[in-house]
Amino acid sequence: MKIALFSDIHANLPALEAFFADVEKRNPDSIYCLGDLVGYNIWPNEVVNEIRKRRIPTIAGNYDFGIGRMSNECGCAYKTDAEKDNGNISISFTNSLMKDDERAYLRTLPAHIKVEFQLNEDKLNLLLVHGSPRKINEYLFEDREEKSMLRIMEQADADIMCFGHTHKPYHRVLNSGIDGQDHFRHAVNIGSVGKPKDNDIRGGYVMLTVDENSSVLNKESISVEFIRFDYDFEKAAKAVEDSPLPNEYAENLRRGY
Amino acid sequence: MELPKDLHYSKEHTWVRIENKTATVGITAFAQKELGEIVYVDLPNVNHNFNQDEVFGSVEAIKTVSDLFMPLSGKIIETNEHLLKEPTLVNSNPFDNGWMVKIEIEDLIETENLLTAEQYAQLNN
Repeated sequence: MKIALFSDIHANLPALEAFFADVEKRNPDSIYCLGDLVGYNIWPNEVVNEIRKRRIPTIAGNYDFGIGRMSNECGCAYKTDAEKDNGNISISFTNSLMKDDERAYLRTLPAHIKVEFQLNEDKLNLLLVHGSPRKINEYLFEDREEKSMLRIMEQADADIMCFGHTHKPYHRVLNSGIDGQDHFRHAVNIGSVGKPKDNDIRGGYVMLTVDENSSVLNKESISVEFIRFDYDFEKAAKAVEDSPLPNEYAENLRRGY
Repeated sequence: MELPKDLHYSKEHTWVRIENKTATVGITAFAQKELGEIVYVDLPNVNHNFNQDEVFGSVEAIKTVSDLFMPLSGKIIETNEHLLKEPTLVNSNPFDNGWMVKIEIEDLIETENLLTAEQYAQLNN
């Protein structure tokens, strides 16, 4: 079972189109979208419609949650006043672009998707969230303390937890077994299709493979492949520059930050 | 920013309310504001002993995780269980309902290492 997982498109249509071209060649069994379809670029409606017409199960990101409700708050933890000012321009511009039907779609997106596999006479729970199971906009960076990450996964009963939001991909395997019995849990940040922040300008997504031997007892039995694809980032950057959006967002696309 | 005068403060942004040999400990309004929305507070078990300045727990906020440093040596006698269900009490009411632990103070002389409200305010100007 090959499962493609992507998120954080952020209204970047050239990146989304390149993602679809890449993922379709790899012929996954299913595709899920982990949210943040809109914000920071000029194509929020187009991105919603491309995902919607393919009937891809999708959860809400914090930006979708805010725009869906016509809010001026996106749940983004901007640090500086300059970042906040730019963020306000982006959310107000996105609100002005968003059409009613597409906004209603964002408003009704679910918060989580849970997929339970039954393999080897045991269950294997895949949980899909945007930020974390407890907060749509919580940032789970790679350096999160093991104790904290495990507690989050245990409370959510997640053996494989996939999420986005930070735009920085990683895969951590943590053992929460007791009394000498292994129980491996996989925390997978799937990166970002349309606004990567790991200094690689290419779009990114994940191909998760679960097969009949997959189990919490064997950490190698679940495979996570990070896939990067080229796209016309200059077109996306120019679109930002030709819009009311701050030019910094164009530079971010050119630098992968 | 709110800074009650009757409390002691540490450089690590905890406050202490001393009543006889008991100290109530929390984090300051400044600290909660810097952290942003708090989603989980990891507190120690009752009867656990800590030294002054030792890490006794952590606060998990939306963007970051921060250790909690014990302002005075002592034994944990109570933890604020309301924070398990409602960690944002630390944001909304840091000096009152957002308290974190109560300790039995080992030696009051350690309060000499703490700051007054004025000294803490100067430090964070």
